Order: sequence, then structure tokens, then C-alpha cells
Amino acid sequence: MKLFTRLLLIPLFLLGWGAAQAQATTYTGVVTEEGGEPLIGVNILNKKDATGTITDFDGRYELRANVGDTIVVSYTGYEPLTQVLGVATTLDFELRQSAELLEEIVVVGYGSQKSRDLTSSITTIRSDEIEKTPSGQPMQALQGKVAGLQIVSAGSPGEAPKVRVRGVGSYPGSDNEAPLYVVDGMFFDNIDFLNNNDIKSISVLKDASAAAIYGVRAANGVVLIETKGGKFDAPAQITYDGYYGVQAAQNVLKMANAEQFTTMALESGSEADISFINNAMQRYGRSRINPNVPDANTDWYDVILRNAAIMNHSVDVSGGGSKAAYSVGTSYFMQEGILDMKNEYERFNLRSKIDFKATDWLTIGGNAIISNGTRYLPEDAAWFLAYYAVPIMPVYDEKNTDATPLQLANAQDLGYRGGQNPLVATEFNENQQKIRKLLGNFYVQFNILPEKLSFKSAYNSSYTTINSRNLDFPYFIGNNFQRENSAIQKINSNYFNQIWDNILTYEDSYGKHNLTAMVGSSYRDEAYDQLEVRALNFPTDQEAAWFIDQAETLDTDRGNVGDDGSRYYGISYFGRVAYNFANRYLIYGTYRADGSNKYQEKWGYFPTVGVGWVLSEESFFDVSGINYLKLRASWGELGNDRIQASDGATTTSVVTTSLGDVQYSGTQTSNTFSALRWEVVEETNFGLTAEFLRSRLSVEADYYTRDTKNAAIRVNIPAIGGTVLRNVGVIRNSGFELALNWSNSTSSGINYSIGGNIATLKNEVISLFGQPYIDGGTAEFRQRSIVGEPLLAFYGWETAGVYQNQAEIDADPIAVANNLEPGDLKYVDQNGDGVNDAEDRVVLGSYLPSFMFGANLGISFKGFDLSANLYGQSGNKILNRRRGEVIFTNDTNLDADLANNRWHGEGTSNSYPSSKGIRKGWNQRLSDYWVDDGAFWRIQNVQLAYNIQGEKVFGPGAPDLRVSFTADRPLTVFDYVGFTAEIPDGVDRQTYPIPAVYTVGLNVKF
Amino acid sequence: MNMEILKKYGLSISLLALLFFVLPSCEKNLDEPALNRTFNEEIDYSISDNMILPLIGTYADFYTRGWETIPLIAVRGDDVNAGGLGDQQPFDATDHYIYDQAYWMYNSLWQLNYSDLYRGKTAIEQIELYREAGAPSALADQYIAEINTLNAFLLFHVARVWGDILIPDTGDPADLLVAKLSTKDEVMQYISEQMDAAIPNLSTVHPADRTDVPGGVNRYTALTIKAMAEQELGNYQAVANATSEIINSGVYELEPDFYELFKLKGKLNRENILELQYSDYGQGSGDANFHLYAFYGPQNWEPAVPGIGAGWGFFEPSFKFIKFMLDRGEAVRLETSVLFTDRGIAELQQDPKYAVLPDFVSNTTRDGDVITDYARAKFASGKHYLPSNQITPGRTGYGNNKNYTCIRYAEVLLMHAEAILQGASSSAISADEAVNLVRARAGMPAITGVTLQNVVDEKFAELAMEWGVRYYDLIRWEKYDELNYDGRTFTTDKIYLPYPQNQVDQLPALDIR
Repeated sequence: MKLFTRLLLIPLFLLGWGAAQAQATTYTGVVTEEGGEPLIGVNILNKKDATGTITDFDGRYELRANVGDTIVVSYTGYEPLTQVLGVATTLDFELRQSAELLEEIVVVGYGSQKSRDLTSSITTIRSDEIEKTPSGQPMQALQGKVAGLQIVSAGSPGEAPKVRVRGVGSYPGSDNEAPLYVVDGMFFDNIDFLNNNDIKSISVLKDASAAAIYGVRAANGVVLIETKGGKFDAPAQITYDGYYGVQAAQNVLKMANAEQFTTMALESGSEADISFINNAMQRYGRSRINPNVPDANTDWYDVILRNAAIMNHSVDVSGGGSKAAYSVGTSYFMQEGILDMKNEYERFNLRSKIDFKATDWLTIGGNAIISNGTRYLPEDAAWFLAYYAVPIMPVYDEKNTDATPLQLANAQDLGYRGGQNPLVATEFNENQQKIRKLLGNFYVQFNILPEKLSFKSAYNSSYTTINSRNLDFPYFIGNNFQRENSAIQKINSNYFNQIWDNILTYEDSYGKHNLTAMVGSSYRDEAYDQLEVRALNFPTDQEAAWFIDQAETLDTDRGNVGDDGSRYYGISYFGRVAYNFANRYLIYGTYRADGSNKYQEKWGYFPTVGVGWVLSEESFFDVSGINYLKLRASWGELGNDRIQASDGATTTSVVTTSLGDVQYSGTQTSNTFSALRWEVVEETNFGLTAEFLRSRLSVEADYYTRDTKNAAIRVNIPAIGGTVLRNVGVIRNSGFELALNWSNSTSSGINYSIGGNIATLKNEVISLFGQPYIDGGTAEFRQRSIVGEPLLAFYGWETAGVYQNQAEIDADPIAVANNLEPGDLKYVDQNGDGVNDAEDRVVLGSYLPSFMFGANLGISFKGFDLSANLYGQSGNKILNRRRGEVIFTNDTNLDADLANNRWHGEGTSNSYPSSKGIRKGWNQRLSDYWVDDGAFWRIQNVQLAYNIQGEKVFGPGAPDLRVSFTADRPLTVFDYVGFTAEIPDGVDRQTYPIPAVYTVGLNVKF
Repeated sequence: MNMEILKKYGLSISLLALLFFVLPSCEKNLDEPALNRTFNEEIDYSISDNMILPLIGTYADFYTRGWETIPLIAVRGDDVNAGGLGDQQPFDATDHYIYDQAYWMYNSLWQLNYSDLYRGKTAIEQIELYREAGAPSALADQYIAEINTLNAFLLFHVARVWGDILIPDTGDPADLLVAKLSTKDEVMQYISEQMDAAIPNLSTVHPADRTDVPGGVNRYTALTIKAMAEQELGNYQAVANATSEIINSGVYELEPDFYELFKLKGKLNRENILELQYSDYGQGSGDANFHLYAFYGPQNWEPAVPGIGAGWGFFEPSFKFIKFMLDRGEAVRLETSVLFTDRGIAELQQDPKYAVLPDFVSNTTRDGDVITDYARAKFASGKHYLPSNQITPGRTGYGNNKNYTCIRYAEVLLMHAEAILQGASSSAISADEAVNLVRARAGMPAITGVTLQNVVDEKFAELAMEWGVRYYDLIRWEKYDELNYDGRTFTTDKIYLPYPQNQVDQLPALDIR
């Protein structure tokens, strides 16, 4: 209640702010840096009333203040000084260069290091940056902020974005390319259960040197998450943080309208298609605007989209005494989906972290996070159905009197093969997931030799249950467009993972020698089980009865009742040595032996070494303008044990069939066998860390190559289809990463920072163990991995325009041989043999971006601060499979871009086929016509905030306030014809659109 | 203080010691196998009764034919068309002998047939393991012979569609990477030899009378497939020998009611030599195994039993066939083979010759299902139609619970007759007798002095819409002219489909440019 009273008072206090107060004394002086050079533009702030001034060209200042006031003298790149004013009115200050950035403690695996001692590439993002992004997914906040980290957004509420560290080294599918997430010591496959406010920092361990300590789990990069904790000897701080906002679909795909669709159908040359148009005019009448078009014009995307709410509220209490530090927090997050159905995500989190110094040699502690989420999953098929549904059909059809429970229109009534209406997907399905996660970490730490030798034993566990309830409601729209039986499916999955770590750490210095050594062991146990049942005809009208017990019959078809489980064990021994001489020469090495029961081969060994040379510490180094310069190099080997285990042996499954109208069971035995092992990644990294111009400019640059040496690749089984995983390739990712940051203050009191990062990526198949290529994708939408080309590149024909007239056809033997007509696509005869065939296929591009960039801008002035981020990528291609599936059904709708740009007479288009052409096999094969540029750039996030120092405005004891307005992803620019150019695997069929989010936020600190 | 130090070192050392002992004992967990898998090493092959399981699994595979596969085999004949334009244009183009190597149906047919061929081989390996563990050897031989018979049928169709193909000799599909192409004749020879090996091991009772595997293959199935292969080779004496043995066995007889032969009554009928079995087990819901007949069905209808789904309209009997039947005065075979729409009848009547049509040429079937006009086609196949009043209440899919006939005794009789007319000698009945058996059942008058042309026509009338028999006969007889109908132009380079692009990319032997 007190909180709300205070909130109500805000406007009143705002009015009073800024009123001048009487000041007695004038203080003057000069601010210089160590060694005497005057500093220009130094901030001098009176903490009592927030008045202040800055130094002039000679470093001089003048400030009116009262005796007893406290002033802070601060300057970017220097340690700030605090001074209580006395009677002396001349005060000179000497500022020391800040070593803050370099003294920063960075979390590394099983320990921490000073930033200056690093020989590896680690990027850390702190809570304030993470909290700016209104999202249920903390990783989303990192998009564009870490060079070399690709985040592919997910639009569906509760869905984690796809994260790739430095390209793809493992064959995509079944999530074996995801990095390892370590939350306070516990391993996770993703962190979709954490609230942005739960997190203190996220560190991305990009190179082998940093990640190798995680051995067989490290190949795809490691992301370390530190949750918020308390501080010893700190007063309690209570923080409320929340926002409310709305999401709106962006870049909504424009479909052909009824008129365009009718034109296309009439031009198709297909009697059937024309008759469907006539049927629609008979059934729905003729449009008054154009009497040759049916009087129905449905924009199906408009029908299934909606604006959706998003909000978050979190409260955190943290602090500590001399013996204990604590942090307790809770949060509530809610997000609706922009798909107009029961599609939302709600999550309630509780967490606490306590560290207790039991004795001077014994520290114990623990932390627990409880996350309770409910997710209603979208029926993604709706996106796909809405693309295909013909616009000449209304949503509801009053003539369809037999339809129940909704009188939906049925395209079959017009003659089409399918019923098409996408509302069957959104109206008659509900997919609920209750996601509960418990994370517990407990540790005991002995300081055996104070400050030198310590032993820590930590037990970490996570328990996850996902209870899914999928409902199919019955409907009747037509004889062939009905669901007779309602169905309820329940899938309960449990995951219980435990890790027991034991670590002995020794730290010491002898003169200029500094040494940290660590040895440890880790025992890992991952158990999973799942039970699923499906039943038919449940009482659909009362939610309380949505149980299998209430249904009429169990659906015992195989595949509808299932029981599955797995149990993996791992044992690891590891060690680390970090040594430096005079903070100048750095040597670093780790080694890990990993044992696992997942493969026939049990043990793997993963070493890494790194060296660093801090040039700026050398006595001979004296370059003005360079404050710090370090060169780094590292090499290491990592493993990827996300490769599934089960392909390793032939197995037998049970099938049933009818023999003489009696059901018989038989067995089928798989006929492929392969012995899999984990993938090994070898990575080399060269880097540079530097600071220039009084540390206002910082630079971090890295070049890496990482080779996955025995990549497990899905190999097509000849003749019979299907694939089998085999360790048969070498995949290389290499790239250059650069991050620059400039921060400074102007003489008028504006603090600003501007930064940017770029990353290049070259993904290449180096070897396929003797084979020239391995096919992927599907037979109709071919992706091929060819030695020397990117993994899973799109593979097909290159178009060279459209045949414009009969003369052009007659002159081209290829056109004659294939019975082509004007309006058909022309393909490049790559080998010049005058025949168009499979030999003319070429690589059409990769789904991986070859260039990514991010930029950020931050400005603060008085109480205001503004931040903005940009993100973009290029070099990737998207297979527009929505369009491409015209090969399976070719009388349905198309997007407006296709309709407008179609060839319909000489000179009308030289890139799009005619309406007739698009229905022909010749034009439907995979060519660059179906593969589009996936480049985009985006205003990632813009936040404007106003800060109010409570004590100053409201008097003692009042909280600090921050009011913010955020626009997240308000503008995305791309050429691709789709909702989003962010397609995880580059094949766009029914990707959930990425909405823009606009929020108002409030932060209160007591 | 001493106490404190003791505690400090004591605790930490004992923890370290504990680790030293506990961790190695944890290492035995690294030998734990993956869960929820039946690894083949763990199957108990000494349970001889289970030897039948891989055989039944093979039947399950054989019955699971993709909906697109049989129509693709059959569509090029002059008996049936792909329906109008609209959806699946390359299917229609194939009907017009314009082939598209990249079309998904080609690849699908190839892949499904080869996939089942290899699964059959794996099942044989399993049966051998049971035999080694003590299962009755003769029974193992029988099961293996059954699987080889099913495989022969699948391979036969691959060879008819593509000509020169790869014979899967071993159990490992990877061996195809280095395999050489076999000519179509070599494949037919291989099939014939495979059947010779299988025949002595197979049962001699009618499939419907088998109690171990009801509806399973027998000696006569193998003999028929052998006859079909030999017929492709032009060895008519071998055809006559095989068909004579079938006829002389007396195991098969023609179903008197031709119409009902293609309905529920046709399930495990005395006439059927090989069929794909489906069932709803007499239940309105729950487990069922069905074929997707919707592909063949009319897009619009008013079924006598409301609520039964319509079809997709892709398999349209040709005007040529219908006129051919009307010219012959066929009744029951035309009524059984074709579902008429008003639109189709009207177009038929535009030809003054057919202005007056028999009563059964109506959009209402004898079971009262009304076929209403639909865009794609003017007729639908009646042989793939199950009247709505024969669908088990509770089921709604078009043709649910209907079996799919692969080979009928009528075809054996006609093959027999042709073999004799091609110069072979019979140890069973004469060509006249064989043809007249078929004609009599169809209510057609007997003829004497049967000629080859009579057999050609009889096969057209009797076997239209069934597995492309007509198309492959025309190819064998080199009657290419017949394929130039309704605006189509056939040339001999169009006899075989091109290999699916996806297969050419994988299998070096198919890259024959």
C-alpha cells in the first residue's frame, strides 16, 4: 500500500523538482590527471542536490555549495573521487586512471579470472542490458550485442530463440548445435525458464580456450549464467521492476486478393481452376466493383493475427551482513501470442541465494529457483494454411448450414481438394504445456590455507516436468473436412539431472610470478522419462473433465500410447593452470577427461592452451594514446556429445496389420547400423584487447577457425530413403570478430557511449571422407553439403530470366526439347551442353549469414537516458518453401508479390513465371527463383528513460524511480517476401512472425 | 583453536577421501546401455514361435503402399487418365508422356518399393537367426519364400516402370552404390528364378484358407509372378506352364458377381491371387489399417449414407475405354469400372453414336450413391469405390475397410489364353475355354476361335484401371498407336520413366547420360 501511495505522489514531486536552493560558499580548484596534465570536462556533482559543474579548458572549476555537502568528481576512464566539503574553498583534485575494466572479474568455468589475465574470448553482458529487452527469453536480449553470437528470434511466446556460437559445426537437427548453458553450475539445454530479472550476468565463452574446461559438452560454445546474489556488508535493497506493453505483427505478408487470385486462375489455362472461380461466384455472388470476381475477399493473415499484451513484474530484495549475503526475488511474466487463438505464456518465478560464512575457513551456501510456467502453444499450421487459403472464400459461410460448431466456409464447396479454412487450426485445437522447473545448487567451501588453497564441493540439481495436454475439438465443415472424434492427449515428461562437482583451487604469488591452479572432478547423471496417452471423445464443454478418465475410449493406435526414457552418466576429471609473469606474459591451460555411457567409446580427452602478451606493460612500450594492449592466442579441443546415442545399433519395433480381418502383430527390424561417437572440435583463436585515448575507446578483435573433425552427418540411405547419422565429415567455421566501444562526456554534462560489433562467418565443408557431397533437405527441396561449400547449401538450378515470346522459344533448343512456352523460366546451361539436366545445378546459397553487425548508442543527460541498438545480418539465403509447396498443391493462393510480378505477356516480367507456368513441373523445381536473400537490418531496441533520485526529490527514505518507454524491434527491413527473415534453418514454411513490442516500464529502488 | 584446525582439515580431507572412493565406483555407470530399445542382441531367437513375427512385419510393410505409388504405375494406359488440370500437374503430364525427373511421385515410388525390398531382406536375416537357434527349418524356408514372393512383386513393378534397374542382392542398401544396372530382361529372369526357388517351399492352399497367415501368399502367387515375368520376356511356354499349373490346381475360381468382387465381398475372395489387406476390425473407431482410396474417389457425391467422405478425383476412366465398352455391349464390367457424373454422361451423348445409353450409365450407383459433378474429372474409377452403405458405421473415409486387389485369377486365365495364342502349348484348358470363363462371368456371350486381338480386347475390358496392366500390355505388344488418344502422342522413348533425380544423385549406376 505504501508503495502505491508513493507512486501516486510522483507527479507532484516532478513539479517541485529543480527548484533552486540557497547556497553559501563558492569552491574552486583545478582537476588534473596523475602527472599534472589538466583534465577538461570533468564532472563535479553535489550529491545533496544534484547540482554540478564541469571543468574548463584549464581544468578549472567553480561550484557553489554548503559546508558538509558531498561532491563527486568523475571523469570517464578515471577513478571517481568523493569529498566532503569543509571550510577550505580551494580544492584541487588529482584523478587516477581507472583500471576498473581490466580488474573486472570474469566468470570462467569452475572459477573466475581477472579480465586482464584472460587469454581467451569471453563476452559478458550485465543485468542492466538484459533487462532492457522486454522478453520472456533472456537470450533474446543478447541479439546484436556479442560479436559472433547469432540469435535467431522466436516469435512464439515461451519459445527460446535459436542460439549459435560462431557458426554451425554440427549437422543441424535435434538441437545438437545448441550451446551449453551453465546456470550457477548446473547444465541446461536452454534458459527459457529464467526471467531477465533473475540474471546478474551472462558470459559467452566463445573460443576453445575458454570453453574447453567443459570438455565433451563445450563444442557449440558455453554460456555461463550467474543469477543475482547478495553482497556482504550491504544494506537491504528492495527493487521493483516492471513493464506493460503491446505486441504487433510486423512486415505482414501481403497475399493476392480475390481479384489478383481470379486473374491468376483465369490465366492458368486450367479448366478446373476457372471452374472454382465460377463456383465461388455462384455461391457468394459477384463483386460489385468487378463483376468477374467473386464477392468474397478474405485476407487470411488479417483474420488470424491480433495485437497481444506482454507484461512483467519482479521484486528483488538483496543485501547482506558480515556473515551472510542474501538475495530473494520473485517475478511474474505474461505474454500473449499474436496468433489469434489460445496462445500465451505465463511464468511465475521465485528464487533465493544465500552465502554464509560459517567460520573463517568455511563458507556454505545455496540457491534455489522455482519456475512455474504455463504455455499455450500456437497451432503453427495456421500460418501455412493462411498462405494457401483462397481469398475468394469468406471466413464464415451461412450457406454451410450443416457446419458445426462454427459455420466456417469450406473450399471443397468450391471444388478444391482441401477445405483450406485456417480457422480449423486456430479454433479447434488447444495445446497446453505446464512447465515446472526446480533448480537447486548447494555448496560447501573450505579455505584450507587462507587466500591460497581452497576446496569446494558443489551439488547441483535440476528437476523439470513438462505436462502437455493437447486437445482436438470435433467439428464438421464438410464430409471431407471434419473431425468426428474429439481427442485428448497427455504427455508427461520428467527430467532429473544432477551434477556433483569437487574443486581444489590454489592461488599464489611469488614476486612477479602469479599462479592459479585448479583440479576437479564432476559426476553427472541425466535421467529422463516420458509417458503419453491419447483418448477419444472427452467431454469438450467442461474443462474440469479434460482427463483421460473422462474420455470414451483410449486411442490405442501405436504411437498414441508411449513410454520412453533415457539415462546418461558422465564422469569427468579436469584441471587448469593460469600463470602470469609481472602481468605481462600470460600462460593458460586446461585439460578435461570425460567419460560417458552414451557411446561405444567411453572416454574422451580435451586439452587447451592459451598465451597472452600484455605489450603495454613492457618498459619499451610507450605509445601515446594506447593505454592497454594485449595480444592473445589459444588452441584447444572440444567435444559435442549432443549427438544422439540410439542410432548406434539396429533395433526392432512392433507393428500391426490386418490378416483376414484379424489384427496381427509382427516385427520390423531396422537395417542400418553405425557406431557413433561424439564430435571433436579443434579451434584456434587469435585476439587483441586494447584501450586507447585514456581508455575511452576499447577494442576487442578475434580471428578464429574451428574445425569439427568427425562431424556426425545425416547420410541418405541409397535407394530406400531415410537417413542415418555417421561421423563422416570435417566442417570448418572461421571468422573475424571486432567490437569497438567509445564512451565519453561532453562539456555540457552529457554522458554518451557508442559501440559497434561486426562478425564474419565462413562455413565450409572441408572433407566428407572421400565422398564429393552428401545430400540433405528433402528430395524436392534439395540441400547439399559439398566439399568446399557451406553445410547444407541450397542446391538447384540458376534462372536466367523468363522466355518472352515464341521466337525466343524456337531459338533455344532447351526450350524446344522441354515443350516450353513463353512465361516459363529460363535456366542457365552451366556446362554449355545445350541440354538442361541435373548437371546444370549449382549451389544457390547457405542459410547461415556470412556477416552480422550490431551497434549501440547510449546517451544520458541529467535524469534522462536514451539507448538504442541495431542489429543486422547478410549473406544468408532463405528457401521460400511456402511458395515452393506449390509442387504439392497448385490451385491455392499465392502472395501478392507473385501475383503482381507474374509474367503475363511479353516484357511484363523477366524473373517470375506466368500463372500457367507456376503450375508446371519445369518451373517448380528448386531454383534460385524459390531461394531468396535473407539479409535484414533492424532497430533492435530503443529505450528512453527518466530517472528520479528519490531522496533528492521526495526527501529522506524515498525510493529512486525510473520510468521508461521501450520499443523493441520496432522496425525490420528486408527484401524477403515473408513475415520475418529470421528463419532458424533457412527453410520457411510456417515460421511464427516476430512481433514488435512497445512497453512502458517502471523501476523503483528502496 | 586446535580443535578448530582439526575440524577444518579433518572435514576437508575426509571429503577428499570420500571422493577418492566414490568416483571410481561411479565409473561403472559408464557401461549402462541406452534405455527403451530392443537391441537385436537381446532378442531371444530360441523362441521358435516368434519366427513368424518378422514375416508378419513384412506383410505389414507390403500392405503399407503410398497412395501415389499404384496410380503412378497405372496412369499412362489408355484406360485411365489423371483427371483434368489443377492440382498435381506433373502427374497429369506423366499421363501425357511428358516426364519430370524431379517430380516427387517418381522418387516416392522408387523409394517405397526399394525400402520394402530391403526390409524384406532384413526380415529374412531375422528368420535365419531363428532357424540357427533351432526353429523348424522347413517353416523358415516357407517364410523366406513368402517374403521373396512379395519382394518379387515389388521388383517386378519397378522394372516395368523404369526398365533397367538395380537388383538388390545383399541386405545392405549401401551396396547399391557400387551395383551395376541390370537390364529389364535380366530383372525378369532374376524374378523368375527367385520364384522357382520359392515355389517348392510355399503352401498350396488358397490364401483365404491359410490359418497361419490368412491371406498370405502361396505357391500359386509365386507361379503367377513367374508367369508375369516370363510374359515380359516373351517366353510364352513358361507362361503357359505356370498358368496351367495354377488352373489345374483348382484352388481358384472366378467370383460370379463381378460388381461385388470389388466391394467387401472381394476380401480374400476365391478369385484373388494377391491382395493388400486392410481392416477396421468391425469397429466404428479405434485401431484400423486403411488404404487411402480418396485419391481415386469423386470429389463430390451425395452418399446414400450421409457423412461418408468424398475423394480427390485423380483417377478418371477414359472416354476411349467407356466407348470401347459401350461398343462391345458390356454391362456389368462397365458399371463396375466407372462412376459416372451427369457432366460426363452429357459429353458422352454429344457423340450421336452414344446419344442413347443403357440405364446403368447414370450418376447413381446401384447402392444409391449419387456422384455429383466436380471440376477435376468426369468419371471416377468404380473398381476403387466402396458403396457408402458398406462402410462400417462410425468410419467416414472413402473406401475404408476395402482391400486392394493386386492379381486376380481372371488375369491368369487371360495370360494363359494369350500364351497359347502366342504359340505355347497348354496342359490345362484351351484359349477359348479360358477367355469364355472370363466372358461368361461378365455376362458376355461365348466366342470360338479366339484370336490374339480377342485376348487384347478382353484384357482391356476385364482389367482396366488395375495396376497399369493395359499400358504394359500395349508396350509388350508394341501397339503404341493405341496410346495416341485424346491428344496424346506416344513415342518409344517414353516407354520408361526417367530415374528419379534424387536417386541419380545418390546412385552412380543410374547416371547414364
